[in-house]
Parts: sequence; C-alpha cells; structure tokens
Amino acid sequence: MTESLWQNLWTGYVFPGGLILVHILMLLVPLLVAVAYLTLMERKVLAAMSLRMGPNVVGPFGLLQPLADAGKLIFKETIIPSGANKFLFLAAPCITFILAMIAWAVIPVADGWVISNLNVGVLYLFAISSLGVYGIIIAGWSSNSRYAFLGALRSSAQMVSYEVSMGLVIITVLLCVGSLNLSAIVNAQKTVWFAIPLFPMFIVFFISALAETNRHPFDLPEAEAELVAGYQVEYSSMAFALFFLGEYANMILMSGMTTILFLGGWLPPMDIAPFNWIPGVVWFCLKIFVLLFVFIWVRATVPRYRYDQLMRLGWKVFLPFSLLWVVLTAGVLLAFDLLPKGV
Amino acid sequence: MALLDRGARSIFLWEVVKGLGLTFAYMFKPRATLNYPYEKGPLSPRFRGEHALRRYANGEERCIACKLCEAICPAQAITIEAEPRDDGSRRTTRYDIDMTKCIYCGFCQEACPVDAIVEGPNFEFATETREELFYDKDKLLANGERWEYEISRNIAADAPYR
Amino acid sequence: MPTLTIDGIQVTVEPGTTVLQACELAGKEIPRFCYHERLTIAGNCRMCLVEQEKAPKPIASCAMPAADNMVIKTDTPLVKKAREGVMEFLLINHPLDCPICDQGGECDLQDQSMGYGKGSSRYDENKRAVTDKYMGPLIETVMTRCIQCTRCIRFAQEVAGVPELGAIGRGEDMQITTYLEQAMTSELSGNVIDLCPVGALTSKPYAFTARAWELRKTESIDAMDAVGANIRVDVRGREVMRVLPRLNEDVNEEWLSDKSRFAYDGLRNRRLDRPYVRKNGKLQEASWAEAFAAIAAHVKGLQGSQIAAIAGDMACTESMTALKDLMGKLGSTNLDCRQDGAQIDPSNRAGYLFNSGIAGIDEADAILIVGSNPRREAALINARLRKRYLTGKVKIALIGADQPQLTYKYEYLGAGAATLKDIAEGKHAFAEVLKGAQKPMLILGQGAIARADGAAVLALAKQAADSLGLVKDGWNGFNMLHTAAARVGALDLGFVPGQGGKDVAGILAGAQSGEIKAVWLLGADEIDTSKLGSAFVIYQGSHGDAGAKRADVILPGAAYVEKDATWVNTEGRVQLGRRAAAPPGDAREDWSIIRAVSEPLGHKLPYDNLGMLRRRMLELAPHFSGVDKRSSAAWGGAFGTAGAVTDAPFASTVADFFLTNPIARASATMAECSALARGAAQPKTGTHD
Repeated sequence: MTESLWQNLWTGYVFPGGLILVHILMLLVPLLVAVAYLTLMERKVLAAMSLRMGPNVVGPFGLLQPLADAGKLIFKETIIPSGANKFLFLAAPCITFILAMIAWAVIPVADGWVISNLNVGVLYLFAISSLGVYGIIIAGWSSNSRYAFLGALRSSAQMVSYEVSMGLVIITVLLCVGSLNLSAIVNAQKTVWFAIPLFPMFIVFFISALAETNRHPFDLPEAEAELVAGYQVEYSSMAFALFFLGEYANMILMSGMTTILFLGGWLPPMDIAPFNWIPGVVWFCLKIFVLLFVFIWVRATVPRYRYDQLMRLGWKVFLPFSLLWVVLTAGVLLAFDLLPKGV
Repeated sequence: MALLDRGARSIFLWEVVKGLGLTFAYMFKPRATLNYPYEKGPLSPRFRGEHALRRYANGEERCIACKLCEAICPAQAITIEAEPRDDGSRRTTRYDIDMTKCIYCGFCQEACPVDAIVEGPNFEFATETREELFYDKDKLLANGERWEYEISRNIAADAPYR
Repeated sequence: MPTLTIDGIQVTVEPGTTVLQACELAGKEIPRFCYHERLTIAGNCRMCLVEQEKAPKPIASCAMPAADNMVIKTDTPLVKKAREGVMEFLLINHPLDCPICDQGGECDLQDQSMGYGKGSSRYDENKRAVTDKYMGPLIETVMTRCIQCTRCIRFAQEVAGVPELGAIGRGEDMQITTYLEQAMTSELSGNVIDLCPVGALTSKPYAFTARAWELRKTESIDAMDAVGANIRVDVRGREVMRVLPRLNEDVNEEWLSDKSRFAYDGLRNRRLDRPYVRKNGKLQEASWAEAFAAIAAHVKGLQGSQIAAIAGDMACTESMTALKDLMGKLGSTNLDCRQDGAQIDPSNRAGYLFNSGIAGIDEADAILIVGSNPRREAALINARLRKRYLTGKVKIALIGADQPQLTYKYEYLGAGAATLKDIAEGKHAFAEVLKGAQKPMLILGQGAIARADGAAVLALAKQAADSLGLVKDGWNGFNMLHTAAARVGALDLGFVPGQGGKDVAGILAGAQSGEIKAVWLLGADEIDTSKLGSAFVIYQGSHGDAGAKRADVILPGAAYVEKDATWVNTEGRVQLGRRAAAPPGDAREDWSIIRAVSEPLGHKLPYDNLGMLRRRMLELAPHFSGVDKRSSAAWGGAFGTAGAVTDAPFASTVADFFLTNPIARASATMAECSALARGAAQPKTGTHD
C-alpha cells in the first residue's frame, strides 16, 4: 500500500511536476535571456539609426552590457518612498513581471511545443494582458507621487482603449479559424498567413500592440519630458528591473501573438524544400525577431503622440475601423460560405 | 483631387512608411560618432581644457600674482593670495581654482599678462570626489609641467591670430 | 576778482587761483601728476596743459594764475595732442609692470593713460632703470616707476617738515632719494604713498598682499590718538589689509599718521579670540558661559564700594555707557577713564576740550604749548601747527621738560609750572604776545596735568586763559590736547568717580589694601597692574597686553575697526566709526558683552540693540546727536584747584610715538619703526666703521 502510494506519488505528481518545471525553465530561461539581449539590440539598432555606436565597451561589441546592467540593478538599493504603501509598492512590479511570464504558458513555439495547450488560449492571453494594467495602476497609486499617479492613469486608460480594438481584431482572426486554441490558429494558416488577407487588421493589431506595451510612439505613460518616468518614477534597483523585464517580455509576447495570429507561427513561409528543413521553433523566433526589430525601428522613427491624439486614434479610428472589418470579414465568410467547419 | 491624394496618403500611412524608410537607410550610413576612449577628435589650439600654471624654461614660475585672472573670473573660481618672496619678487602663496565652479570661459588665460595660467588641451580629468577638483598651486604647476609641450605648441600655433 | 571763460563757461574766481582750479570750478577735469592742492606748485609734469587764446603755445594750467578775460579751452585737438605727447613721454621710461605693481588698479598714471593717452608708443630703445632707494620699514620703493613729479619731496619739505627727500641729477638721470638712504624721520611718512601718482612709493607692509579691487572699503574713525582722524579701512575677507586717510578738512585734511596707517597688523597678532578664566593660577580657555559664571561667582554679593571699573584709552563710548550703567546698577561709583592720572575736572566741559578746534589753528596768531609734544601726541595737529607756522603769521612758544624737534621753530620758555605761573600772572614776556594776539591759543598737554599737582596746573592754565584774554567773542583759545581716543567721550559720558567714588589712583590703592575686591578693566592696559593686589580682575579687551596678563577673567572684545562705535575727539567732535571687519573667533562687540554679563549678575541692562544703547547715550550726553559736528562748550565756571605747584618739569606722556596702545604694541611694523626711531636698527652705511 505504502509502496504503491510512493509509486503513485512519483508517477502521478513528482515526475509530471518536475517535467512541467523543466518545460517552464526551458521556456523562461531563453525568454529572459532574450529580454536581456532585446535591450542590447534596441540600443544597438537605435544607435545605428542615429549614426551612433551603441554600447561597445562591456565585452566584445558590448555583448556583456545586459549582464553589467543586470548586475548594477541587482546591487543597487531599493528605495521605498516614505509616503508609499510598502506592500503594494513592492507587489506592483511583481505583478507586472509575473503576468508577463505566465502568459507564455499557452504560446506554442513550435508544433506541440507548448506548456499548456489550452483550448481557449486566445481568451487566456487576452485576460492576462488585460490584467497587466493592475500592476501599473498599483505602482502609480502606491508610489504616492503625483507624477507616478498621472502616469499610471494615462497608462491604464491607454491600455484599456487599445484592448477594445485588439479584441475586435482577434475576433476577425477567430472568425477565420473557428477555434480559440493557438495551435489551431497557427495550423489554420498553412495555406496562407492571415497577414495577407487580413492585412489592414494586421497593421491595426501591430499598432495596438505598440500601444498596449506602451512603446513608442505611444509611450506616454513614461514620457520622460512630461512625467519624468511615469508610474516608474519612484522605482529603483530590482523593483525597477522587474518592471523593465515585464515590459520587454510583454513586447516579445505581443510579437509572439502577432506571429501566431497573422504570421503563421512556427510555419515556414512556404512549405517547400529549403524552408521546411528548418525547425519550426527557428521560424517562430525569426518572426518574433523581425517584429521586435520593427518595434525598435518605429521607436527610432516616429515621434511621440499627444495624449488626445492617442485617444482619438484608439476610439475614433481603430475601433470603428476594426468593427467594420469584423462585419466585413463575417459578411465575406458568410457570403462565400468560407466559414471554418466545426472544429 | 488633393483631398483624395491626402486621404490616400494618410490611409496608407505613407508618411510613416517614408519615415521608416529613412531611418532604415540611416542604419547603413557611416557612424558619426567616435569610439571615444580609443578614438579622439582633433582639438583646436584654442581648446580650453584643464588649467595649468606654466614655468619659464629656467624653471621660474611665470605667475606674478597680479590677480587679473581672479578679477576677471566670472565664476569667481580663482583664489589667490600673494606676498613678497624672499628675493623680493611678487609671487603667489596660494593659487586655487575651484574646478567645480569654473565655466571654462578662458578669460583667465586672456587676462594673464605672462601666459602663466592657461587652459591646456586636457579634458580628461574627471575625479571620484569633489575635493580632488579643488586645485591648488602644486596641482596646477604639476599640470603645467605635464602639458608644457602641448601648451607651448598650441600657444605658438595660435600666436599669429593674437 | 578775475573772470575768465573756460570752454565757453564764464567763471569768476578768487584772485590767486590757478587756471587749473578755475577749470575745476567750471567742471572741467584737468589731468595732472605733479599738482596737488596741499603742496606748492611745481609745474614739472606738463600733464595739465590747456590752450589759452592768444597764447603762442599751450600753458601749464597748474602754474598759471587765473587772470581777467582769459579764454581757456580744454577740449581742443591741440590740448588732446599735447596731453598725448606728454603721456607718451612719461611712459617712455615707465616700465610696463602694472601686473606686479601694487598701485595697479588705483594708479593715476594708469587711469590717465587710459583717459588721455594714445594707446601706443613709438619708443623702441631700452628703458631707463633706476636703483631702488631705502626709505625705511614703511615705504617700498621701485624708483624705475618714478615719473619725477616731486610730490613726495614737496610733502616731506612742506607738510612733514623733514627735508630728507630730494632729487639728484637732471633730465633723464633725475632720481628721488632720501638723505644718505635713511628712513624718513617723520611720523607722517606714509602719506607719500598716497601722494605718489605711480607705484614708485608703495606701502611695504601691504606689499603684494591685495589688490585695490578685492578690498571692501569701510569709512571709519581712527582711535590711535585723540585727533579722531577719518580713515578708510580696506578689508579683504575678514582681514584688515590697509588703512587709508579720508578727507576731512576740519580734522586730518587728507593726512594720516604712520601709527594710524600701519599699526593694522597689530589687529592680527596677540588677539584675544575667546574667553579665558584663571584656574589654579593659570588662565585657561573657557566658554562665554563659564566666564560669565566665574564673574557672577566673584562679583555677586559684593558691595558697590568693593567694585571698580577703569576704562582704557581705546574704549568706545558705547561700551563705556554700558559699563557705567552696569556699575551704577551694582551700586559702584568707582569708575575712571583717566589711566594716566590726569587731573581733569570732568564737571566743566570747556575745561577739557580743544576749544579752538583743530581747524582753529589755521587762524591762530600766538600759540603756547604747555607740557606737550604734539608731534608725538597728535602728529596731525602738529602738521597743522607747521602749516600755520609756514604762513609766518604765528608765534609759537613751548613750556616743557625738553626742547623737542617739532618741525617748526618755537620759543622755549621754560620747563615747568613756574614759567606757566609767570605767564598767567603777566610777568613773562610771552604773556604780552598772547595778550596782543587776535587769536591766541594755549595748548595744554597731558604731561602738565597727569601728575600730583595737576589740578593746580590746570587752575593756573585757567587763570592764564582768563587773565591773558584767550577767550573772546567767537574764539576760545584754551585747548587741552588729549592723547587717548576714548578720553573726551568718557568725560562727556561721566565715566568718572561718582559720589564718594575712587579715581584710578584710589582704585589701585583700594585693590592693594583689599578694600576693592573686583576691578573691571575695559581695555585698560596703561595702569600699573602689579598694584591690583588680590582683587578679582575682569579684563575686557582685544589684545593680550598688560591688563589681560593680570586678569582673572578675560572677555574678548572688538578692536576699534571691528565695531560700530562713537568716538569723540579732543576737540569734542562726535564721529561714527563703522565696523569694517568681524572680531576674531568668539570675540564680540564690547557693549554686547557687558549687556550679556549684566544678566547673570542680576542687573539686566535695558538695551537689546545698538539703537537702544545709543538712545541711552544721548540721555547721558545729548550733544552726541550732532555727529561729525564739533560741539563746543560754553566758557565759564571754574576748573582745577588752585594750589601749590612743584618744580618738576612737564614731561610728555607719550614716550614712544609708535607704541602707545595695545594694537600698536602688537604690531611688528610699529616695533620696527620704534626700534628705528630709537636708533637701534639703522642700517649701516659705508661711513660707519
């Protein structure tokens, strides 16, 4: 009895649990390394576009710069403002970081390479990314600083606004797929990536992703010139690093979502000889890389929006436009009987 | 027609695409910056860097404690105290420059009748503490000895324009 | 009265006025180097050239008397060219060493070459060089800079009365030199530094230490002697760098004695910068609170008659007012300000003032000096006497122990009181001179009254004044010459023994016998401190001198340039001295120290600031409201006590001009001058063994 219990414990809990842990580490470790090097890439690309060098002192070509930055952030003192709510002040960066990480649970990096192949993956992702606003608003409020609070208000308003149009864009994709499972969405793009038939939606989604991740030109929440650093103004050291990691992980996540929804996930561009030799995970990473490059490229190009312009764009352009496209797509699918057959 | 043109441009994000094209093209242009600690740009002979007190070739210090630099200094960074030296000549007993106050305007070297105080070509004198930036006479004279070759070359190069 | 036209402006001037003065009246500035208002006209610099209509060439305006119908032009191209030419010549041999010259920044030659010079020279040859001359420990010479204006020669000759400077050689080879390269034996020698329009003569103690533009200038009053010379104190940071005279026609004109000018280095030495309390026979550093506690422990509970106070020669009226009030509250009447024991009658103000006024000397036609050496006691008054003497309209006579060199001729009448008595009784020949004079003066020095029979001498002087008609309508010829800056102010305030109070001699005797248990010395260093017996001595002052050595508690006070203070000079002129520098360390302004002590003593003085204190001063001496004015006193009543006089000669109270007060005694410069004056440190010349 006891023996079988031990056996049960091993096969039923410890081994699968350990396996999950290994899966998680296999995903998170490269992810965090990617985040670290994304910062380096951002600095390098921005530098190149403004005819500068970028970091080049720490390590060859500055390759150890992220480690140096991490080391610096870790060893700095975490300053907690005297007027701050200490618990929430420290909880906020944790929330942001954890949310950015757990969203990856449902992302399929290759065929079948997913920690949890949820059948409502899109919904899960959407829910998680919506929760992200809490981290920011808590950070802004608990800092007990006007700058941080104003930044947090802006940030949350912005995220909420763009989520609406993002949701509608996702609906158009779902209409074409007929499933909320992310792997299913990727597999539905075997013939053609959705970026091609739904090109305007792809653009709307990408721009909304920029706004959702508070990236340029929609980085009003942390606009240096006006709000110093927005909701992050009181943060330092590791607390700040968690925000930073969360934000960049979110960037990668959004790129991943865009890849899955529009660029065919792990699928090669064409299912022919040299392309399909390459493993799916490489394609997936490559697509994410390109999208991240665009993130940075846009940052180097476009100046920051004014707040009213941002809101106008979200509510008066993207929302009606994406709504129109939902109706249009649904109409076309219905009219030509292209609706996906029950999955 | 213009309306249509403008509408089409804005719908297809033409300006944004053009801008992206420009920044992308810039990625491949040669860098405008220098790889600073390893590469340095050229310096004018009139460059106004770290101060130095010079000596004559025979080792006699040039400064005669006339205090004109102290008087002209707009940041009041220079403090001089003087008294007759044993041989009766007028010399400083104290020549301090507060480099944290200095604005590197170069008035001191313009005012100096004997080219004693000069702003040399050195601009790499960052320190870890403020105190190290309160230069005294010894430090300034040491600077003068260290940079004499460059300083005299610069003065000679600039002489025709003075 | 000649009327002339200057640049189209009509001016009428007094006969004898020069064209230069007339131009100034017309508001035209004429550059000059050799011309000086108080010296004779030399006319050798040629900088003051102006154009006169119908004259063949430009005229030297300083030497040309103004005449009727002259037409003078000061701004024509001719004048400009003439000035530029003169300036170019002056600069030919003047070195371009302004950066190392102490005159730089306040130099007439610099200013005028900027204003009237051409800006460039055509002279390429070698410049002349002149060897520097030795002029004593006060004057630094760089004779290469000299432009031969001869102001210094004329000053030495005319004002100082020591013809020791002169010129040798001529033309380019002319050099100014002293006689056998010795120090000037004048106590006004420092004035040649001010007179020198270039940097040839500069101050030796000040050499290279500061620049004119770094100095904070405060107008104040000198307290080295009783003349009350107007001074400007130049301070850099918190250190007094130099003292310069200020123009006051009625007091010092524009001169200053060497002691007043050069004793400032004494302000840095031997200063009391924190309180001290004597513990186990040794003075130990203490805090103010400890010092106050020590005072309260010893003074509280004493009877008024057991407490005494003596004010020194440099005490300001403010501190004396506070101390007088404090003593009054403690019930003590033992106050005195006459350290030298001068038998002055404080009740009759006309009896202790220099009633004619210093400027009155310029009108006097017969002067009798009794028991004084004005050259040592009041060098600036001596300069006035010489100025009057040079007009030839005055007869001067002297009664004193010896026949000092006074820079003017006088008739020596006798040594002591007997001669004065002869004069007072009209038996002496000089009595007739005084009687016949329009404005006769009797100058009574402290040497005549600071002695046991002083009161009788004073009565004799009063008798002489009355019998010889020294006092007439609009003229009071009775003058007492004081030596202490504080004296007249103290007498005006009544810092003298009150009802049943003891004077200085009485206080010292009381202290020795144990009758007086506590003595407050307010900067009093000239008394014999060995006679203080076992009394508890509180010394309040600025320097560690005789008084501080004997003190049981030392309260560090401010020196005369470190406080806002009121001074009354020997002629009764009330003048305000302004604080130029802060007292060192923990030292404070003196009145505030007394005010602070009054609280632990249980008799809080009713003034919290200088304004309130000065209101109290006005109650004691209402004439203090007339600042800068000489408040004269009505002649009348009696002073002095008629009595027997001894045969002892009248010796001056000032033995050494350079070392009369604690500040001067702390000054290295003054010590050097004093040694030189005594003949100890004259540099050897080739003719000595």
